[in-house]
Amino acid sequence: MTAVRVIASEIKGFHWFIKFMMLLVGIGVVASLLRFVYGLGATTNMNDTYPWGLWISFDVVTAVPLAAGAFTLGAIVHCFGIKKLEPLVRPAIVTGFLGYSLVSIGLLLDLGQPHRGWHVFRYWNVHSPMFEVSMCVAAYTTVLFLEFLSPVCERFGLHLPLRLLRWIEMPLVVAAAAISTLHQSTLGTFFLIAVDKLHNLWYNPLLPLLFWVSAICTGMCIIIIEASACHKWMGQPNEGVLLRTLAKILPWTLGAYIAIRLYSLFVLSDGPFFDNPLLTLSFFLELVVGFILPFIMFTQKSVRDNDRRRVIAACLVVFGLVLNRFNVSMFGMMDPNQIYYPSLIESLVTIGIIAGHILFFVLIARYFPIFEHHPETVDYSLPDSFQKHDGGDKGTKVTEAGRTVKAS
Amino acid sequence: MSNVDTSKNNAFLIDMTKCTGCRGCQVACKQWNQLEAEETEFFSGEGYQNPPAMSEYTFTRIKFRDYQKNGQNEFAFYKEMCMHCNEPACASVCPVGAFQKTEEGPVIYKADRCIGCRFCMIACPFGVPKYEWSKGLPLVKKCTGCHSRIKEGLEPACATACPTAISYGPRDEMIKLAEQRLARYPDRYINKVYGKEEAGGTTVIYLTSLPFDELGFKAVTLRPLPGYTWQALRLVPGIFLSVGGGLSAFSWITHRRERLKREQQALQNEQDSAEPKEEKE
Repeated sequence: MTAVRVIASEIKGFHWFIKFMMLLVGIGVVASLLRFVYGLGATTNMNDTYPWGLWISFDVVTAVPLAAGAFTLGAIVHCFGIKKLEPLVRPAIVTGFLGYSLVSIGLLLDLGQPHRGWHVFRYWNVHSPMFEVSMCVAAYTTVLFLEFLSPVCERFGLHLPLRLLRWIEMPLVVAAAAISTLHQSTLGTFFLIAVDKLHNLWYNPLLPLLFWVSAICTGMCIIIIEASACHKWMGQPNEGVLLRTLAKILPWTLGAYIAIRLYSLFVLSDGPFFDNPLLTLSFFLELVVGFILPFIMFTQKSVRDNDRRRVIAACLVVFGLVLNRFNVSMFGMMDPNQIYYPSLIESLVTIGIIAGHILFFVLIARYFPIFEHHPETVDYSLPDSFQKHDGGDKGTKVTEAGRTVKAS
Repeated sequence: MSNVDTSKNNAFLIDMTKCTGCRGCQVACKQWNQLEAEETEFFSGEGYQNPPAMSEYTFTRIKFRDYQKNGQNEFAFYKEMCMHCNEPACASVCPVGAFQKTEEGPVIYKADRCIGCRFCMIACPFGVPKYEWSKGLPLVKKCTGCHSRIKEGLEPACATACPTAISYGPRDEMIKLAEQRLARYPDRYINKVYGKEEAGGTTVIYLTSLPFDELGFKAVTLRPLPGYTWQALRLVPGIFLSVGGGLSAFSWITHRRERLKREQQALQNEQDSAEPKEEKE
């Protein structure tokens, strides 16, 4: 009983926003239970014309690139050696881990036979993009979990696992980037099979490459938004100097994306392109507002150095990516005689998943050292083949700010 | 995907000019597959067709089309069913391989494997697989090509029931038969054997007198669909190794550079601290 009372009093102390997020998550859980009681047909607006609805379009196809920050930043910091960005890595890993866990939950809700999800590991079909993505999401969620274990071990002062984790850090970073490259692009491969269904504006053989490059751009933008939000609402220090470095990389990746996009459209696709005014509008919104405008903004020093403008540009990229994924997976495949829109329950579940992401991020940030990461205070005296540590004070380490834990 | 020998495939030749629209095939299909009746309304779809679409309860149906010929109202028919492609898109995209192209011709569905992801429904160019939307834990439903009957030497239920339009036999013979009819009665048919090349070739083949698109046939690529995704997926191992290897090499170089720098600095520091000693001597 005391434990319950402790938790209750802890919750009572939360900010109203966290309580509101908890409410949304609760509603989402109830809505997803209804899906199992009444069936997919009764609770969603999916049907034989629209076998994939909001849950695939947002919870999987959009949420995966939104969680791409972890692998992008990991590669930038550890492989390309831009070490000063290190403080941004942990929040990005937490976001990625939460994102992928919620993708898995969304995918399971959408499956007709979720209890058979493990069949993917038993009956391999290497010709299936869905097989590839399932394997990668499973593998990558594991990698992110291992990376996420570091702050957990620091919190509880577990030194041996910490050293092991530190030892496999580099392999994990490389594995994360390689696995992410595969499944981010394979999400684009999904729609290569919809050859006579997806609209010409979006169907082209380079979809996998486009999905991968846009995921990298978005990953960095999400980090910019997240760090700025943590500064504004969670009392974290302003990381503006670091974000400026990220913003310097962005024009290159965004420029590459726009170039490949235009090439795939004008050279590799066949018309007619502009036969549907709504899709045309959606296409221009996506490309011009979502990619070209932020590209121009990020090339300007005045935008990169200004906290506010930088976040606005980053938000535009995220908008462009979300619209792009919806255009490919939903709008571009619409049947003109029958329009799909998500049902109330579908929407509540997706809102619950988004709220869950925010809620768990805030809670993890509250109880685990994800911002106060000081690699130099951890004892890494086990094999250190990458020579990463330069000898800190052994024996003690700082977990949360101000709290010192004796080493066992 | 084409590791199944399709040369001995059986095929349906459906001559729509001979179809009377009796819908005996629809009834036979329901009976053999023990499918529940659907509560429908007449004219709920376009024209006289009923039920309005294929569904979890209806694996085949006759589509009606009204048109005018010499000032007279006429009907044209089109039997909708699984096309049993030679290289089926559904089989290639299924993560658990629940669809299988059999040597006898039909593409069969292994319900005990299915996880219910509905990728087959996205992939199928003909919109054939249907879902049990009414159930809590739904599965996919589609025409079985009466695989169980064929294995016992029988013809599929719909082909057995059809009094006029459906011929069933080895695919190459059916194509030959279709081309003979086209040659003998060029004014009766549109000069095309639908299914000979569509989606890389199917084992349901149509002849009609009306343009195919007017009858409601979908425009379908002639290239086998699995190739569209495989052209990207075949690169997966290579990309995995080159990204993994490339990044490993890159990080080895950056880490080595850092280590050398650190060592040099240490050396420098040593020298710096050593120098004042020399002065003392």
